[in-house]
Order: sequence, then structure tokens, then C-alpha cells
Amino acid sequence: MTAVPGNEENAAPGGAGGGDRLPCGASVDDLFAQVTAGARPRDADHQRTCPHCRAHLAELQELWAPVEALAAEEVRAPAGLLQAVMAQVRELSRHTWYAVLPGPTGSTRVAARVVGAVARLAAESVPHVTLALGGGHTATPPGGTPDPDRIAGQESESATDVGVAGTRVVVDVQIAVDYGVPIPQVAEQVRAQIIRHLDAQTGLTASEVDVTVVDVRPPGTAR
Amino acid sequence: MELARAGDEDAFAALVRTHQDRLYAVALRMTGEPHDAQDVVQEALLQAWQHLPTFRGDARFSTWVTRIVVNRCHNLRRAARPVQPLPDEEDAAATLPSSPAAETLAVSARRREAVRQALLALPFDQRAPLVLTTFSGCTYGETGRILGISEGAAKVRAHRARRALSDRLREWK
Repeated sequence: MTAVPGNEENAAPGGAGGGDRLPCGASVDDLFAQVTAGARPRDADHQRTCPHCRAHLAELQELWAPVEALAAEEVRAPAGLLQAVMAQVRELSRHTWYAVLPGPTGSTRVAARVVGAVARLAAESVPHVTLALGGGHTATPPGGTPDPDRIAGQESESATDVGVAGTRVVVDVQIAVDYGVPIPQVAEQVRAQIIRHLDAQTGLTASEVDVTVVDVRPPGTAR
Repeated sequence: MELARAGDEDAFAALVRTHQDRLYAVALRMTGEPHDAQDVVQEALLQAWQHLPTFRGDARFSTWVTRIVVNRCHNLRRAARPVQPLPDEEDAAATLPSSPAAETLAVSARRREAVRQALLALPFDQRAPLVLTTFSGCTYGETGRILGISEGAAKVRAHRARRALSDRLREWK
């Protein structure tokens, strides 16, 4: 098997001139290229009859045979590779949005997860609000029942979902509030706080902030 | 937008399906470790996905993504790999009979293992062009494009690598 296609590639570098030669005058380098890189014999007729060439070629072929055997081994990617890659791709594409703030000397891009972090921290700064970070918490499978002790982000992601288009962002935030507080007012405070913080810190306009209250918990419970 | 992105993902999955065996083979010969090879290919494909918008058009996808794989193999090697121990000389002499007639299946498997070891012992600058040409069937031109060197340089390095590999195999006989 020769693994190097293309006839124009056949001469070994430096094979034309000097280098070691067999007693018959054949270049050792040429014979080497012939065996290992599929180069065409310089003088096929001579090789067929020359004992020096034939012995040397036989030695080289035997030496190189295991290389060709290894190269010919069929290698297949592990079965789970495609799935693993695509799972990561889908996870990524959920959070790879950028907000773009055009400026006179170049534009500023703000990654969606930055916007998400700002929104989350803004919401958390409102009294009586706790927000879920997916990290060490139990995630709620789609259609599953939320764990009453936890509020869950999406599959170990933050609870803040962000869509960004140009300088306008849509924030979808999930919060937990202390038991007993007036939820509509708290949600309104969260909305206002997120809009304020986003504007101050990123220069982005929140055109929509959807607040979902997913849990209540007794006051003073650690997150 | 959501639909367009979903379409992109399907297209990308098709690309992965087409190229994964070849990419994995390159990574496996470069690293010598199935586990490392899988990590390298997964990370490379993810990197390719993330940079897909900057890629579009200016090179063949296979060239571009193979280049990412090879670069990652290089970094992996620099970062973590301890030097591979070479097979003991006497063992090698005992297990690699020079007469083809004496070869059994087990012996030929051991000889392929010796090639694997010899390949890993090559410096990166030689191993990469050798893996791409002899093991992956790339032309010198393609190999050069993948490695960011000229076709001539790819040819010279591949040749040097074959020499070094055969010298090593000869020593071990």
C-alpha cells in the first residue's frame, strides 16, 4: 500500500544527487523513497536484475511492512464522540449571544452570559429575593417536579436566560422569594433593578424582563 | 433565528459524522492514547464550531479542522505527556524476529506496537507530517496547508521522519 498519492511527489528530497550509494551505483535514498513513500523506481530494469538493489529493497520492505500494516489498520472514532460533541454544541449555542454596542472607533461586544450575570446579581440585590445558580443545585428535568427545597436553573446553568439582539436585551429570570412577601411588588422591584443595572453597567436596554417566581422559602433560609 | 441555528447544528453534525473517523485516526497516531485522542477530537470540533463564522469559505473544512486537531495534539504533548519508555532492547530482539516466515499474528501485532512506540518517540515536527502522509493519506500539499508550512517543507519533514522511524525500527530489530 502506498499512502502518498500523486505522481509529482515521487522523488525523495535530495535523492537526485549525492548520498550513499550501493556498489551498483543506485542511490540508497532513492530506494528508501521507493519503499517508504511509493516513489517510482529510477531504473526499474536495472533493479530487476541487480542483486544489490534487490537485497536492499527486500531489507527495506521487511523493515517498513509493520508501518504499512499499522497505517492500514482501520481506525474508527468512538461511538459516543458525535453525541458528546453535539451535546456540547447545543449547550453552547444557548449562551453564545453577544450584545453589540457600536462606537465611533470600534464596537463593544457583551457576551450573553455577562448580561445574565448582571441581571442575576441585580435581582439578588432586591430584598427578599434569592436566585438559583444551577451549579451545586438539583436541576429540574423538563416536565419534572421541582424540588421544593431548591429552585433550579436549566441543567446546571444559571437561572437567568437572556436573549440579545443589538443593544436591546430580553431577560428571562427565575427567582425564589421569601415566604410572605407581596410577590407582584417584589417582581416589579426585580424588573426595575435589572433594567437599571443593565443600563448602568453594560449600556444595554432591557426591552423586556420576564420574571418567573418559581419558589418561596422561609425567611432566613440559606440559598 | 432559532430555526437557522438548529439548521446549523444539523449541518455541523453531518460534518462531524463525515470527518470523525479520520480526525480520530490522526489524533490516535499523534498521541498514542485512545483517551487523549478522543478528548483532542472533541475539543477540536467544539473549537471548530465556535469559530465556524470566522472559517466560512477560506479553506477546506477538513484542512482547517485537522489543523486544529494537530495543534491540540501538540499542546497536549507539551503539557502533560511523560516521555514514553522505549521497549527494552533485549525484549525487542526476542519478540521481533527478522525472518518474515517466522512471523505469527502475535508477532506482527508486536511489530505494529513497536511502530506505534517509534512514532511517539519522533519529535512533533516529524511525527505530524508522517502521520498526515503515511497514515492519513494526505498529499504533501495538503499536509503543508494543515501544518502551515510549504509543500516542499512538508515533503522534507515527512522524508526525515521516515528515515528516523526506520532507523529506530532497525535498532529495535
